[in-house]
Amino acid sequence: MLTDPSFWLVQGLNSLQLAMLLFLLSVGLTVIFGLMNFVNLAHGSLYALGALIGYSIAKLTGSVWFAFLLAPLAVAAVGALLYVTLIERLRTAGPLPQVLVTFGLIFVLIDAQRYLWGTDALGITSGIPFSGTIHILGEPYPAYRLFIIAVGLLVFLGLHFLLNRTRLGAEVRAGVDDAETASALGVPVERTFFLVFLLGCGLAGLAGAVAMPAFSAEAGMGISILVPTLVVVVVGGLGSLKGALVGSLVIGTTLTFGTALFPAFAGIAMYAALIAVLLFRPQGLFPARG
Amino acid sequence: MIAVLLVWWSQAEYFGFELLAEIAVFAILAMSLDLIAGYAGMVSLGHAALFGTGAYAYSWLGGVLGLSAPIAMLGATMGTAAVALAAGAVAVRVEGIFFIMITLGFGQMGYEFFFQNSTMGGDDGFYGITRLDLSAIGVDLTAPASFALFTLAAVVVVYILLAWLLATPFGAVLRGLHANPKRFRALGLRVLVYRTAAFAVSGAVAGFAGSLTAQHTQFIAPNLLNWTTSGEVLVMVILGGLGTLVGPLVGAATLVFLRHELSGMTDYWGAVLGGLLILVVLSRQNGLVGALGALIRLARPGGRDA
Repeated sequence: MLTDPSFWLVQGLNSLQLAMLLFLLSVGLTVIFGLMNFVNLAHGSLYALGALIGYSIAKLTGSVWFAFLLAPLAVAAVGALLYVTLIERLRTAGPLPQVLVTFGLIFVLIDAQRYLWGTDALGITSGIPFSGTIHILGEPYPAYRLFIIAVGLLVFLGLHFLLNRTRLGAEVRAGVDDAETASALGVPVERTFFLVFLLGCGLAGLAGAVAMPAFSAEAGMGISILVPTLVVVVVGGLGSLKGALVGSLVIGTTLTFGTALFPAFAGIAMYAALIAVLLFRPQGLFPARG
Repeated sequence: MIAVLLVWWSQAEYFGFELLAEIAVFAILAMSLDLIAGYAGMVSLGHAALFGTGAYAYSWLGGVLGLSAPIAMLGATMGTAAVALAAGAVAVRVEGIFFIMITLGFGQMGYEFFFQNSTMGGDDGFYGITRLDLSAIGVDLTAPASFALFTLAAVVVVYILLAWLLATPFGAVLRGLHANPKRFRALGLRVLVYRTAAFAVSGAVAGFAGSLTAQHTQFIAPNLLNWTTSGEVLVMVILGGLGTLVGPLVGAATLVFLRHELSGMTDYWGAVLGGLLILVVLSRQNGLVGALGALIRLARPGGRDA
């Protein structure tokens, strides 16, 4: 198996695909974390919501493209509602109340999803773009997974531009670096946080919608993805775009190759990476604060 | 509180006994978490892993190695303390949200370990666990009524031990560390040693609770160690009141009882409990115990606001 180049090719692409999903999820979480020291355990539930809403839109309109477009907006709207009702009150409350409230929110959101969509895994079979297989160096590979990789890379490039070339990006960087000074210099930190929060929720929704045709949608699917996402955020470095990308690649590769080669130790290796980073490089691999 | 549970015990039927034993087990677990979270200010999101380690250790020592139940209980308690000592020595180096993350990481490592461990049944769990045999003193622990009473007695013993521990200079240092770690460092106390010791003691109690839950349900599965279970225990502590020994008791009783009642009424009891948790945290009271204290103060105008 190890001498077979196709093994490395296929697992390498699988790693990349998982990494891109993790990136879409962790990038929103990391900027929220880095900008305002806010921990949102319900972030995974927004991913599930994106998948379920995407499923319904795809069923209604017959086009997955509408799902990719509208599901992120719908999830961002839910995020806005959460922000106004809960998140804003918890801004300065410290990690414990944030962890607890968003933990409670997980159960509320899961039950809301079960109420609206039931408990079955929901998948679509028709209208999926790139549904064939592509031959890469003679190896057949599902084209849709390559599409997921492309979406992740496009979002990274878009965010890179947003962060480094726009006013909002400059405000975010200033806020992550030193919220108090930024605020004193006239950066509307609260408004920036709100926008970043919405963007993060939207990206979680996009991740869910993009994952749905390949992995189906299910109430509660956010729970299992949450912990790897948190690991990515810590390993990459809080508040760092580059960190979220590198962290996603590290964890995506660890999980994919670990599962293929040492199934008993894949999960343990991921948590070992988390603990090692927390101990020896608590600021993460690519910290946002200089 | 214990009196209330005893009255309940005297009135209970079969399901009441089962519920009572569950409350008692989680009360002990929640007290052990409160020792580090409430008193020492170290909020852990991996505490269920210590609980599960105790349950698995008891089942392995008794069910696989064939040791007697008292030895297996002692071994589970000490073994979990050793695991907590090792993990704690590493984890206490970081604080705040990073402590939450590192305990989450350690906990999930434990979860993965037992999920993959074929000796202990892996994902399918482990069956056929036997209970302590107290027939020498005429008590049959296979009967739900006597087992419930046995777990309640365990709650009393753990409560007294923890209350004693918190009254010692060690307990005073723990509380002081929470309030002002810098001062203690300046006084020359080795902060990390105290924090590690508290984590190990908490682990011993959690492991003991685990050996009880293994005997209670006589079936264990990796989910005992999962971070969502850790979250539930944290909810019990918060619901009751952080930094009090009564709080975890009240919280465990409330959560286990509500979950049982609500799950009979609606499929969506998770949402009700989640909503309740959010309300309790947003109310900024210290759980039910704190809210009760505030009510009493309100009812006594002129009383000093402590």
